[in-house]
Amino acid sequence: MSLAEDLRKTVAAAYEVDADTASTQTFDFPLMPLGTAYDMGRDANGVPLFDPRIFDSREFQRNPYPYYRILRDHYPVYHDKLHNCYFVTRYNDIAECYFDGLGYNTIPKGSSNHVLGNTQLELSGIEHSRRRNLYGRHLVGAALTKRIGAICKLANEMIDEWFNPESGMTEYDPATGKYTMELGKAFANEFPIRVVCQVLGFPDEARDKFYYWYKYMMGGIGGRDYEQKGLMARQDLEDFVESIVEERRLKPNFLLDDEGNEVAPDIISELCKTIVDGDVLSTEEITSNIALIVGGGGETTRGAILNMWYLLLQHPDQMEAVLNNDPLWDAAFHETLRHSSSIGGQPRQNTFDVELQGVKVPAGSLMHMVDFSANHDERIFTDPEKFDILRNDLYSEKILRSGYKKDGRTNHMAFGVGPHLCPGAWISHQEGSIGSSIMSKRIKNVRIATERMAKDIDGVSLAPIGLGAINELWLEFEAM
Amino acid sequence: MSADYGSPTVEHEATAGDDEAGYRSYEVYQRERVGSPPPVKPGQLRTQDYLDDPYTLLANLRHYGPSFRDWQGNAFWITHYNDVTSVLVDSANFATRSKRWFYGLATFGRDLRNNVPFLTAQAAGIDKHAPVVAREIVEAFAKRGTADLATEFAAVFPLQLLGRTWGIPDADLPVFAERYLRMQRGFRWNTANQEAGKQAMLQLVSYFTPLLAARRADPQDDVLSALATLEIDGPAIDAHDVVATLLEGDHETLHGALANMWFLLLTHPEQLDMVNNTRRLVKYAYLETLRHSTPVLSGERFAKREVERFGLLIPEGALVICSAAGANHDETIFADADQFIVGRKDLVQREPRGQYRADGLPAGITPALGTPSKFPALPVGRPRSLYAITRDVATIASHALLDATNNLQLAKDAHPTLKSRGYGELHTCWHLPVTFSAK
Repeated sequence: MSLAEDLRKTVAAAYEVDADTASTQTFDFPLMPLGTAYDMGRDANGVPLFDPRIFDSREFQRNPYPYYRILRDHYPVYHDKLHNCYFVTRYNDIAECYFDGLGYNTIPKGSSNHVLGNTQLELSGIEHSRRRNLYGRHLVGAALTKRIGAICKLANEMIDEWFNPESGMTEYDPATGKYTMELGKAFANEFPIRVVCQVLGFPDEARDKFYYWYKYMMGGIGGRDYEQKGLMARQDLEDFVESIVEERRLKPNFLLDDEGNEVAPDIISELCKTIVDGDVLSTEEITSNIALIVGGGGETTRGAILNMWYLLLQHPDQMEAVLNNDPLWDAAFHETLRHSSSIGGQPRQNTFDVELQGVKVPAGSLMHMVDFSANHDERIFTDPEKFDILRNDLYSEKILRSGYKKDGRTNHMAFGVGPHLCPGAWISHQEGSIGSSIMSKRIKNVRIATERMAKDIDGVSLAPIGLGAINELWLEFEAM
Repeated sequence: MSADYGSPTVEHEATAGDDEAGYRSYEVYQRERVGSPPPVKPGQLRTQDYLDDPYTLLANLRHYGPSFRDWQGNAFWITHYNDVTSVLVDSANFATRSKRWFYGLATFGRDLRNNVPFLTAQAAGIDKHAPVVAREIVEAFAKRGTADLATEFAAVFPLQLLGRTWGIPDADLPVFAERYLRMQRGFRWNTANQEAGKQAMLQLVSYFTPLLAARRADPQDDVLSALATLEIDGPAIDAHDVVATLLEGDHETLHGALANMWFLLLTHPEQLDMVNNTRRLVKYAYLETLRHSTPVLSGERFAKREVERFGLLIPEGALVICSAAGANHDETIFADADQFIVGRKDLVQREPRGQYRADGLPAGITPALGTPSKFPALPVGRPRSLYAITRDVATIASHALLDATNNLQLAKDAHPTLKSRGYGELHTCWHLPVTFSAK
């Protein structure tokens, strides 16, 4: 073979001239099999190196867990000099920081106050808990228990629609007696929104706008290009809420049961009569709180329901166990949130110079508490990559209002822990487990309609959940 | 969890009643103009669209611009001809960074390219070997009547010329070339390529160590011997310096320019006829190629200090992407900028010097090669510039091709296109099948 021919082949191989790049987009990080951390090399002592550019890569966004494992094992507090921030990745470190509300406060760069308004997200200490309790207390304990009947009713109403051929929610094949539907469209997208609207006391027409508010306000928190749209959505919400607030100030609205008895006032009415420092809350303050509920109440619960059904159907033995034992829905819900939650983490800013895991962090640094990583911390959960609703190290009883460990079991980190623990955790838990429990009693022989599901880049296997929630979940089932 | 790309820094806190307290921001909100196409989103610059056809997106950036804040890529794009040239000559405010810096190996070896003995040996070597190599390569396929000019001609010629000039034995050349290409491709963003590139650098060091000792003992007439016997301050020259010098140099512009030039000539047969009949025009075809389809789409500069330019506040250390492709198609500079016109009247046919020519004509910009320089055209005691050398070499190779073939044309059913294989990489034609009759 001639020299020129040898060189031609060398060049073709070096530039991958004949590879088809149109679909895989080589300019980006190469996609790789799930669960394989990319080898970024090792230093002289054999410690894996970590290149912060990975955080910007598509591969990382698809499946960050292997990279967080490297960070947990070798760089528990990682200084990312490229993005000028620190990543805290071990469960115990994160929990410690979350509980230290003054040492690690929540006024990080890119905070939410310009879109969500003045909410408790940015506050710390006593001020924070006072603001949070204004509405948070209506979403836990007895106040929540009173609402469970109405939540069940909402779920049943939505599921009734599946068997109504005119609703268009499902496709029915009379030959096989099977229904096909997309769980998100038929249930999970809408159910949390209906619950939140009911809890807030929004009229029905608010549901159509809810997604708009949610999407743009959440997008606007990130600032930059979306901030303007976020502010517009916020203004739209404010216009909508304003008239309701004025009305409720004069005449509170109540959730009614089937007999027409007053069960509980809605949250807007509660906020209208709330008195802080001898003064009622202004409409602006009420709107801010509502904006926060709108932001937290929809997408996360939707993701939990979809992910839970997806994961359970991937593990038929566990599905079987849940169907035979209704209380296991709680465990399934929490294990889903541990295994693949929707919220990646929370930013914090350290008030003082600190030294954490041997790393000196100067005061005022942006520190990312990576909840994803905490949930997969081998130091807390054995075999964390495995989805196992029967695992004995995850606490899955009624959510703890303080602390994060009980009976040798540990809370997952999807709701966070400490003073900023998600105030919607309890209601979200009820929506997820009650909704799914009711669903499971109305349908049988459920399977994932694989042929309808989004495919992975290989065109064969199902798309991975990776980060956040699965986009859509197609189910095939029979009526019970 | 989204990555944080750095937040705007507010240096002075505004106080009540003090309107002067500066509102300083690195953020720019690009508003859509009425009647214009929607502005480019930062993500679009990292899609396959940009790799296939950067010119459409860049036209949009020019339209909306002087500058574009790509917050996702954390970079500032400059696309107007006058802006790009002004940054390229402004070494007081904007710095280049070596490929070794991108590798994270800024202290790896020394870049010896500015030493006169090296430059002299390189120029002499290229002058000596270029015609021979060109003939060899063309003869390899001349009898066949068909060839792929991109892979068999444009891609191979610069490598073989590099090997001969540097004094690398032909037998070692394929192995050397494999490592060399891996190294050249690795300094970009892609971490996988980067790791492969670092490995290649170490392999090249172990390859050059014995070779360098041999040349030092018995100097030959090649670049490697010039490096081996070079006397400079500091420690003696070792293989790391050789590899660093090799890395900072570049063969890709010649590869891409040759492929693009023949792509353009073959897809504009009337221009090819003209060039074939008037061989003097080969040089002009090459220059117009660098303008019309530069193989290196953009050059990167880093702000040395905070500067306010192009309607932006550019922070210290910011990456400024000087888009040569955008500037070369600037309609305010080049008439019919999207047309390939060999010998066009508004393109200066000499080496670009400074931001503006005395005669007012612009030159096409090709980073790594044709960037404007503030230094005089012919420095005393130095060989002619790499710009001129590369231009002459491309001309020699193309002459050899024209001499060996008759009736050169695109193969039937061939639809060649230009594209990049990766972000920030060569924008060129990867397959160019042709037919001809041998002379």
